[in-house]
Amino acid sequence: MFAYIMEVYRTNVCICYIAQMQTLVFEVYKMNMRIQESMSMYEKLNILTDAAKYDVACTSSGTARKGDGTGMGNCERSGICHSFSADGRCISLLKILFTNECIYDCKYCINRRSNDVVRTSFTPDEICALTMEFYRRNYIEGLFLSSGILKSPDYTMELIYAALYKLRTECRFQGYIHVKAIPGADQELVRRTGFLADRMSVNLELPTAEGLKLLAPNKTRKNILTPMRLVQNRMAENKQEVALYRNAPRFVPAGQSTQMIIGATPETDYQIIQVAESLYQKFELKRVFYSAFIHVNEDKALPARTDEGPPLLREHRLYQADWLLRYYHFQASELLSEENPNFNVVFDPKCNWALKNLGQFPVEINRADYKMLLRVPGLGYKSAVRIVKARRLGVLDFPDLKKMGVVLKRAMYFITCSGKMLYPTRLEEDYITRNLLDAGERLPEEVRNMGYRQLSLFDDVRFTEDGLSWKARAGGAV
Amino acid sequence: MKKIYLCSDTITGLFSAIYDAWETGRREEECGIAFRESMEQELFCEYYETQETEKKARAVESMIKRHLGRRVYWDIYHAALSGDRRKGDAILGTMLAARQIPDSTRIMEHLSHPQVERVFELSRNVGGEAHSYKGFLRFKELENGVLYSEITPKNQVLTCLAPHFADRLPLENWMIYDKTHRMFVVHEAGKKWVLIWDEGIDRSFASRESEQELLYARLWKSFCRTIAIESRTNPKCQLSHLPLRYRGDMLEHM
Ligand code: SF4
Repeated sequence: MFAYIMEVYRTNVCICYIAQMQTLVFEVYKMNMRIQESMSMYEKLNILTDAAKYDVACTSSGTARKGDGTGMGNCERSGICHSFSADGRCISLLKILFTNECIYDCKYCINRRSNDVVRTSFTPDEICALTMEFYRRNYIEGLFLSSGILKSPDYTMELIYAALYKLRTECRFQGYIHVKAIPGADQELVRRTGFLADRMSVNLELPTAEGLKLLAPNKTRKNILTPMRLVQNRMAENKQEVALYRNAPRFVPAGQSTQMIIGATPETDYQIIQVAESLYQKFELKRVFYSAFIHVNEDKALPARTDEGPPLLREHRLYQADWLLRYYHFQASELLSEENPNFNVVFDPKCNWALKNLGQFPVEINRADYKMLLRVPGLGYKSAVRIVKARRLGVLDFPDLKKMGVVLKRAMYFITCSGKMLYPTRLEEDYITRNLLDAGERLPEEVRNMGYRQLSLFDDVRFTEDGLSWKARAGGAV
Repeated sequence: MKKIYLCSDTITGLFSAIYDAWETGRREEECGIAFRESMEQELFCEYYETQETEKKARAVESMIKRHLGRRVYWDIYHAALSGDRRKGDAILGTMLAARQIPDSTRIMEHLSHPQVERVFELSRNVGGEAHSYKGFLRFKELENGVLYSEITPKNQVLTCLAPHFADRLPLENWMIYDKTHRMFVVHEAGKKWVLIWDEGIDRSFASRESEQELLYARLWKSFCRTIAIESRTNPKCQLSHLPLRYRGDMLEHM
């Protein structure tokens, strides 16, 4: 109890201190911004949206919160999509940068210092007005606030904090807020911002430290992982506080996420999913997002420009593998290896795994344990749950499986019901591969035409974080 | 002869008809429910006009809640909001079937029963549409500060949306008009929302927007355009997530 009181006490002291700091910062800030005062809200919003659009996280999920009747807003656990943009992505949050000014020079980024683009910044008041007015018209679920680095990480983080503080306290906004923690910013600032946000993310940017050195020379792995660890630890402490005192303030209740750019540096898929795996295990991240590299700058450190567009299939395969790590009890080292470090173009990671591990098949539907069922191609976690439940009541046969949503066209090579296969088939890699391809598997839809379903970017739009949903999954079973 | 109870397509009407049917019919083949607005006369049936009262409706509601449980009531209630013409028979059939099984609260697990399956489907469909509208609905600000929205749903989703927006915008005056079913839900700041049937209400007030409205509408449209990444343009994907039928009422697609 004492510790908690001290905590509150400390927080209060800090808020006073911060308030003073804020006035100071605003003075300087206002002087700084005078140049741009002539720019209209419309122009600013265009510039700062355009600069924020490459961030892939779009979800508003992970928090359930009722309004308290004194302000505006609430949160639904599964998140809500308010619109879909021309690239098929869900629009859920007002995704903007605080500023596109930046003292850094990341080679892949449109806002890098050395680029000649129009620069502008919002004020905390403008951010509040936009968020509140958009929210009351039901345009959005909340705010996604990111930023370039203005002057210094501390200075930027302070401005972000000021905006959120105003939004939460003065405007009494209770909708969703996703905010970036700026690497290198003062820990206390990051901590305090976390008490105002639902989700926080620190971008990993590139999968490896070497990649970072090459393309983001002003950033270090350490600077990125420090706030990530801080958020993780603070979340753990907060869980205990909340368990003890129901009304204790919540710290980042929707958890933290990160994103990395795929295809700008030469990492293999294996390296990437190993990184993702350790982020899930060691940092307890809620989500890792993958963002296919998009050419916006010319730089010799970047891969040569091609006509192929962003590596979308690769991104898609990584998202599929990510699902396998998070919900299907797979390990990175099972999916790929040093010798075989990249995903198959034709088959999804699970099917690919099955073909390489035929020794573990066929699986008897009426006996196999849940985890093994999850590994059968054509069988998703929902059907696996249904099977486990239904077989308690009686012996299952193929027609039953069909009703439960099992894609027999794929699953039939890998399963038996009461010892029998659906058709006599051979348990050989070549044979199954040939048959799967004949059965219309061919090249995946996304390779054949660009009108592919962007499963990758949506996988948590229609699903809650624990994987349940209103609607059927776009891509069928993994 | 089969008895068919005629009622209006409202919760009160439908539940009143169920009340009457429940009193007389004992088997699915013996009774049915049809809506006055959309009924097709069948041969060899007797038709009865239902006296619709709040009291009968409440009695049915509490009977379902008591014997089938709140979760089943949730499904039945949602099915009752559906735009489907045969929903009355599906609900009645489900209730009759529930009586036949030892644990009536588990009726929704009996999906092999066609009427139960229908109720399940209808409820899912209505829930899905309501969920979509929670996101796709747009308010605009009128001259007097009221937030106003129009939607064109297939099902009567207003009562699903009202609690959501009442929690979200407790201090605002807002109203949503369901053009399909000609109903309003009206929320006055700080009060409970109410449902109003449109019997020739003059809606010209809805075209008088506030000064700010134009500004924010323009900002939003521009935001939606700008947020898309050109090199990933994918209209098919956009279409599959945002069907055309919603777009008519959405500011950014008008
Ligand atoms: S820090 Fe790097 S990635 Fe972030 S805005 Fe600045 S240049 Fe871009």
